[in-house]
Amino acid sequence: MQSLTLESATEKAPGALARLLPRLHAKAFTGGLIVLTFVLVGVFGPYLAPHDPNKQQLTAMMKPPQGIGAVHVLGTDNLGRDIFSRVIHGTRVSLLVAFAVVFVSGLIGITLGAVSGYFGGKADFLIQKLVEVIWAFPPLLLGITIMAFLGQGLFNLILALVAQRWIPYCRVVRGQALSLRSRDFVTAAQSLGSTHGKIILRHIIPNLIQTSLVIGTFAMASSIIAEASLSFLGVGVPPHIPTWGTMLADARIYISTAWWLPLFPGACIFITVLGINLLGDALRDILDPRLKRTGSGL
Amino acid sequence: MLTLKTKLALIIYLALALNLTSLNFANAQSRITVGVTETIDTHNPYGDSVSLMYGIWSEITGPFCTYSYAKGDFEGRLAEKWKVENPTTWIFSLNKNYKFNDGSPVTADDVVHSIMNRVIKDPQSKQKASVAPSVVNAEAIDKLTVKVTTDKPTAPLLSFFCDRLIITSKAMFDKHGRDVADKEHMIGAGPYRLKELIPGQRLVLAKNPNHPEAKRNPRAPDEVVYRIMREPEQRVTALLNDEIQIGQFVPPHMRGRVETNKSLRILPVDSVEIMFLAMQPKPPFDKKEVRQAVCHAINRDQIIATLLESFASRLDGPLGPGQYGYDPALKPKLSYDPEKAKKLLAQAGFPNGIDAELQAPVGRYTLDKQLSEAMIPMLNAAGIRAKLATPEWATMWANVQKGTVPFYYMGRGSIQDPSAALHQYFHTGETPRIGYSNAKVDELLDKEQQEFDPKKRRQYLSQAMSLITEDAPACFMWRHKLLWGLHNRVDYKPLPDSRIYAIDMAVKK
Amino acid sequence: MTGYLLRRLAGTVPVLVLISLLVFLLIHAAPGDPTLMLLGEETNAAEIAKAKARWGLDQPLYVQYWKFLTTVAAGDFGKSFKYAEPVTSVIRSRLPATIELAFFAIVIATVLAIPLGVWAGARPNSWIDNLGTTCGLFGISMPSFWLAIMLILLLAGVLNILPTSGRSTYGIAGPEQTGFYILDSVMQKNWRAVWDALSHLFLPALALGVNMLGILMRVTRSSILEVMNEDYVRTARAKGLREKKVVWRHVSSNALIPVITVVGLELGTLLSGSIIVETVFAWPGGGSLLITALNARDYPLVTGLVLTYTTAFVGINLIIDGLYAVVDPRIRY
Repeated sequence: MQSLTLESATEKAPGALARLLPRLHAKAFTGGLIVLTFVLVGVFGPYLAPHDPNKQQLTAMMKPPQGIGAVHVLGTDNLGRDIFSRVIHGTRVSLLVAFAVVFVSGLIGITLGAVSGYFGGKADFLIQKLVEVIWAFPPLLLGITIMAFLGQGLFNLILALVAQRWIPYCRVVRGQALSLRSRDFVTAAQSLGSTHGKIILRHIIPNLIQTSLVIGTFAMASSIIAEASLSFLGVGVPPHIPTWGTMLADARIYISTAWWLPLFPGACIFITVLGINLLGDALRDILDPRLKRTGSGL
Repeated sequence: MLTLKTKLALIIYLALALNLTSLNFANAQSRITVGVTETIDTHNPYGDSVSLMYGIWSEITGPFCTYSYAKGDFEGRLAEKWKVENPTTWIFSLNKNYKFNDGSPVTADDVVHSIMNRVIKDPQSKQKASVAPSVVNAEAIDKLTVKVTTDKPTAPLLSFFCDRLIITSKAMFDKHGRDVADKEHMIGAGPYRLKELIPGQRLVLAKNPNHPEAKRNPRAPDEVVYRIMREPEQRVTALLNDEIQIGQFVPPHMRGRVETNKSLRILPVDSVEIMFLAMQPKPPFDKKEVRQAVCHAINRDQIIATLLESFASRLDGPLGPGQYGYDPALKPKLSYDPEKAKKLLAQAGFPNGIDAELQAPVGRYTLDKQLSEAMIPMLNAAGIRAKLATPEWATMWANVQKGTVPFYYMGRGSIQDPSAALHQYFHTGETPRIGYSNAKVDELLDKEQQEFDPKKRRQYLSQAMSLITEDAPACFMWRHKLLWGLHNRVDYKPLPDSRIYAIDMAVKK
Repeated sequence: MTGYLLRRLAGTVPVLVLISLLVFLLIHAAPGDPTLMLLGEETNAAEIAKAKARWGLDQPLYVQYWKFLTTVAAGDFGKSFKYAEPVTSVIRSRLPATIELAFFAIVIATVLAIPLGVWAGARPNSWIDNLGTTCGLFGISMPSFWLAIMLILLLAGVLNILPTSGRSTYGIAGPEQTGFYILDSVMQKNWRAVWDALSHLFLPALALGVNMLGILMRVTRSSILEVMNEDYVRTARAKGLREKKVVWRHVSSNALIPVITVVGLELGTLLSGSIIVETVFAWPGGGSLLITALNARDYPLVTGLVLTYTTAFVGINLIIDGLYAVVDPRIRY
């Protein structure tokens, strides 16, 4: 898929980008490799993890990393749970949350944005007011209140993270839809009698995929971070679900005394987000250098 | 461009130089900085009901009376002595040596004003139930005598008044009105006065060297700064840097870091906060056997030895040593016995075990989440398939008080005298927190509250607690040993509740 | 243009009303009860009922909302449950701390990000670019509470050169005038207090600003990249101007417009970042106040704070729209 997008990009903007390409390629490659690795770890997590991530062993708590081949490769945490297994299972949950957030907010954002831009008028006005209202909220605050309101849970967490992340999609997509609707192929389709729904689906949305892909990477990165922040504030997922965020938030009192507790989930967050951001950066440079305003979230 | 740079460098150099010289200067007066976890929020002494603040305000306005853990009894301060005239009438005699900062004496009128106008009637008071729950009237008999009337016999009245009742000046209130008096004319009769309060950041007290209590301990610090530091790593770092000299609540695993520094030490103190698992007597916990099974399922000794690094003491009933009414011979003891737990479950009609959700707060008590997590596999092993939920505190607390949380881990602090806590959690109809009802327990608790003979009262309490332990609406877990980090420059014996009295500190010259 | 801005200004009023409704509903619908949070452990049903009546919580929700709207229309947010003071004065006492923090966070972010971004953008494949990009990503790839604790451990702990928390050392600063400690101390010529305030400010501002730094750096870089290919830059180059001059004179000035936009848009993120950073550093500003208020379910204070924040956010973005016209005369409304 990457080579495909690269081709289309070269067709679009030959000049300077051609000079950049080798470099972008490396960036996209590094980012892509990191993300792919973690995705694979997430998918095959249950087969890779040597222990049950919730299995406690109070007699073997806080064991430092023992190295590859030992019982506890990355050591044990404050309840004697195997950190390696927890990190692997955490990958699964954290990435699942991030993908779900990106998918749902993309779905909402693109639909509303396309409708808003394509139809204009009242629909546009209403949707844009909604955007203004929600966007003006401090992002974390909306997350906290939604979590407080709905209670703990994976699904609720996803909802709380989606609450604002659909907005960058909606904004950018609206702008593009506005310009697309007067383009030849759309007016042609209209005169041929296609319904609005069909036009949006066939002509508008496909043209927005690239942009959305770029926004999506950033939304994904920010939702991994936001999950950790919500855990820090005490409104994360229930304790029996290991996520990087809760592991990191729980381990923050051990930073100076048992560095391996916070280090590994922290490093996973850092490397993954870095990878996603690299990929996003590269994608943006390749696909859409004009897209600058992407919401970062927290 | 160059001149600007030199200027800048000069300014920074100057600032640094000033900074260094000032350090020597500051030592002329003794100052102790304390890192605390609780919030310091309002100028109104009656506007919050938080134990740290009760202590601080008591020190500013002079404690009315105080509980001495050394003596195991209440001690007079502003109120020199008291007597119970009849079960609903108390007479308090004031100490004539206590004077407000402006030199005026503390009179019975001030006490009556504080109880009636500030604690009870003022709509902004948040202390009515904690300080004067059954008080209906207070009146001045003469300049130094106050009569307090309660609507029902209240034997533990002193446990509400002592270390909590704050006496403020009536004259200032009358002259300036409440808000201005609190903010700009806060005068008290205590050994310290309020020097600065920045809500959410710090509070500074300065000593009144001529106060009788200050004379008794001339080594008490001239100034005490209370700083909010919520993160444990932060408090420990600040201790190591000598930014603070006393740090509250050092987590057990960090004590090594503090002790590596030669000029610091760690002092463990038995907290008076009791930790317990509450079970609402609704299915499946409506059966005594199920509740007892929960108590038998948890290996408290192992949790204490591992997670808490022995900085806790097991509770075999609601109370531990040093608390009023503690009975070392209290029976029964529901000790760790998973086999018995399984048998009890089977007896109750659940041979295949039960499902339950345990709720616990996060970051409110020492290692609350970790400790509850450790209980889960133990419960599972005994056939109680428990899942842990850690809702946000405001949500959980509201639900507990509404009586909609069937199974939860909780603490109840400031128990010198257990009466209020036992009533709150185990007396029929007082609060829905557990929703427990037992006529025999009710009877004993009522008797206890109205019994002014300490020996008999202890007996009633002991009987009630024995019944509660046996019937197990709650499993009593442990009392934490709270670790305090102290600089060797200061001598202080931290109290079992989270009150801090600067007048009891001694700074080494 | 004035007409456009006025229309925009008028348009924000319904937005703010909607926000007030949303926050009002959210906070009231969230489980939890201010009376239970504030009255202490030993409180009883009678006391709770009294407090509820006093705070108007026994009224139906729509009555409460209407009351709230009318007080807001009168330029007030009502009284805080917790502090028993008017919400406006509670907020006013905390706001300077947050503004000071946010301002310095933005300063740190822009001062570092723009040169880094320009540099990286001007030499797209160099080691400078690599280093800059990595540094930029570093900030965005860490939760801020984590970064804050690490900064405390490193700079206050290991190196022991900065204080762990708070806004000032007791006993150094003079009397408060504006509430901005640095400004106050400068006005009083109390250089020691200026230094003290700056040393307290540095870590939280860094922890808060790093996120914006990363985003700004990348935005600067990409807009530089873009501008580098515009005709006028090519012309300048063709005229034989030195590369450095081209970048700084022609490229930077044109690339700054999107940077300003991003500062505006990221303000919301910055403000919510302040919630965490202020909590960790015991910074007595609006962010830590918001958490305190939320935990106590202090409805008037929460709504007041959120409305203050959102108004600031909307207002600043309005100003930035106006700034465009100044920076880039080609923009017409």
